[in-house]
Amino acid sequence: MNAVTTRYIILWVFSAAFIAAFATYSSISNINLGQPEFITGYVLFGLMLGLATFNARKKLSMVPFGRSAYWLAVHVVGGIAALGLFFIHTGNVWPTGAYEQALAIVFYLVTISGIFGYIIQKIYPKRLVQTELEIIYERIPAELSELREKSESITIACTENTGSDTLARHYMESLRWYFQRPRFFLSHALGGAAAEHWINQSYQTVSRYLSEAEREYLNNLNDLAKYKSKIDFHFACQSMMKYWLLAHVPLAAAVLALIFWHVIVVNVYAL
Amino acid sequence: MMARPQRWEAPFGPEMTETEVEKLLNLPEFRAIDSESFPKHTPLSGILENDTRIMKYKSGDIVVREGDYGNSAFLVISGKVRVVINPSLPRSMIGRESTKKRNFIEALSQLWTNSSEPELRDTSRYGSQALRDPDSGDLTSSHVFIQDIPAVLNSHQTAELESGALFGELAALGRVPRTASIFAENDAELLEIRWQGLREIRKYDTEWRRKIDERYRENALKVHLKETPLFSDLEPEELEEVANSTLFETFGSFDWNVSYKRMREQGKSAEEPIIAKQGNYPDGLLMVRAGFARVSIKMGTGQRTLTYLGAGDYFGFDELWANKTTGEQSLQTSLSALGYVDILRVPAPIIEKYVFPKIKDNPKPLLTPSLSKSMEADAPMEWALDQRFINGTMAMLIDLERCVRCDDCVRACASTHGGNPRFIRHGRTFDNWMVTNACMHCEDPVCMIGCPTGAIHRSLDSGAVVINDDTCIGCGTCANSCPYNNIRLVEIRDLKGQPLRDPGTQKPISKATKCDLCSNNPGGPACVRACPHDALRRVNFQGEETFTGVKV
Repeated sequence: MNAVTTRYIILWVFSAAFIAAFATYSSISNINLGQPEFITGYVLFGLMLGLATFNARKKLSMVPFGRSAYWLAVHVVGGIAALGLFFIHTGNVWPTGAYEQALAIVFYLVTISGIFGYIIQKIYPKRLVQTELEIIYERIPAELSELREKSESITIACTENTGSDTLARHYMESLRWYFQRPRFFLSHALGGAAAEHWINQSYQTVSRYLSEAEREYLNNLNDLAKYKSKIDFHFACQSMMKYWLLAHVPLAAAVLALIFWHVIVVNVYAL
Repeated sequence: MMARPQRWEAPFGPEMTETEVEKLLNLPEFRAIDSESFPKHTPLSGILENDTRIMKYKSGDIVVREGDYGNSAFLVISGKVRVVINPSLPRSMIGRESTKKRNFIEALSQLWTNSSEPELRDTSRYGSQALRDPDSGDLTSSHVFIQDIPAVLNSHQTAELESGALFGELAALGRVPRTASIFAENDAELLEIRWQGLREIRKYDTEWRRKIDERYRENALKVHLKETPLFSDLEPEELEEVANSTLFETFGSFDWNVSYKRMREQGKSAEEPIIAKQGNYPDGLLMVRAGFARVSIKMGTGQRTLTYLGAGDYFGFDELWANKTTGEQSLQTSLSALGYVDILRVPAPIIEKYVFPKIKDNPKPLLTPSLSKSMEADAPMEWALDQRFINGTMAMLIDLERCVRCDDCVRACASTHGGNPRFIRHGRTFDNWMVTNACMHCEDPVCMIGCPTGAIHRSLDSGAVVINDDTCIGCGTCANSCPYNNIRLVEIRDLKGQPLRDPGTQKPISKATKCDLCSNNPGGPACVRACPHDALRRVNFQGEETFTGVKV
């Protein structure tokens, strides 16, 4: 068992004990006609604030606040624990009251976006390695532009050297669209083979009309198209890995704001 | 007709004239040399004209600094120089002002003190390191000098070197750091001989070879042998005998980094001279004194790497032992040079006479565990060897199956280095491993060779290769020498964010930058701390577990 697995097992055990303790407390307190919601609510609020500090830790990388990997482990396990504590606090999965329901929706969205982010970060890196290509996200536009230029020059060279405009026509009708910018985002993100299928179809569509000399140029274009497909795949996966946080972080800020107001309302009217 | 030796296309000292060469040939040290023993294509006068230069030092000038990686030796022509024996000169005095490590608050303050403009420098610091005319472009003048020589003489044990003394040859030929600082006591004229020329003179003149080898045997070999477990139990007179019988051999090119860089750019494999071939008779124990060597075995039509050896490791022991105990055995593996390797060959009869009698139990074969590994398990190491990453002691290795390409490591590096990262999250890949373009803090730091101010050096505290920004003159020698392209020149700005330009040429002022393992910051490398997915590690390629598991 490697150190990362050990780390997560320890945290999961600790988290399970934490949830079990609060579930027991809540149950006993309810039997005794107590109000366990106050304790569980404040603990949940504290836990949510704690989880939010992970983002601050990322901004303070120059200070030795411990390894970010430990923080992530606590954040992941703590996030799931917060979901358990949320159920204990509300007593069911869907609270009563419009405001609380709004809060629950945002809370669930934060949790779902977090789980989604965690899952894609486990899956995508392995799939990216399988492309046998590594590219920095910010360099993708420049790389695509270079590919576009290459594909255009191949097409022009074909027309100039063979005197036929069949490939050029196909390029203008079909391939130009493909080389213009990243394509098949959703298919790449979901693990589909739409791009590969499109490239093969495109090849077969025009191949029958080409001479041997022209086919050489088409083969070169096909190689470029396949290479671009890998870059598009990187674009899709890396975009997903970067931009899921654009949902998770603002939603987390929103849930904290809603909780804050919820605490004020509860303290003013319920006590 | 014969092509002019390539290195002579760029003479060491462009100002060397025939008159000066004549003068040098009249010095007793060169007059004693039989110039007829040199081949026609490499005459002694040619060596003196192209591989040497005359350096003039003013009183107090530092000639060599302790810890520097030099590629030349010095012969005192006139004047006096002094070797500082004990204690060493303070680091600030030799142009290596050690920077203070930030405390927690200072580290945190970077959050608001970091400017939006990168690479700001406090230029007032640049005058504080006793630099002597760094902009003159004259590399034959010293840049760092001692201001109070009597104080140094009073507080340090020193030795005087007068006309005719040769020093620095061990560092120049052995790719080891200078062991002491040497400064000019009064105005002195020295002949600096680059390693190529020194190697030729040693090769063709028996007296120079005898002198150099004798000094090596006396000053370094015995210590080296004593530190090797096989010889540590030997009596002083036995050690003397072993030292006297040991042969010195070099394999590969001293400036391997230049040819390696060229081959890498062309996508070719670097050459590996064979040191010992599988199937040959083991005529001695081969000890690696400097550099790296690959141990391989024939497999199909190629060679499969079993392991590699670095300084202090030895080869051929198993076969020598087998020859003594079970009968004749030829070499079971081959040894080839990865880059430049210095080998000490201790003859077999000497090993049999002095080492084997001290061994009581049958020693365990050294290579058995390596042979049991699968080819797949060995593949990453084969790759690391081919890429010469084995030179790295703190290389940045990223597991791409864990890395989510979030660039938290790059941002962390930038925030601890004034807004500009000191590495690029890009580099050579093999399977799911990437060695990024970050300084690897090499075992053999070729980047240090030729730095005119000694600004790039190995930190005494951490062993990391660091650049003293105050003494770096932005010449780019280190960046050009680095075979892995891990050093970058950046254009600097003043504290107001204005780009700094040379008043004469109007060219921007540059400084060399590279990963310094966050030596000024608390908590170690920020990149490692910042990685949320345990994907990034700093590894020593000599470690067994470089490509396995996650060290936390």
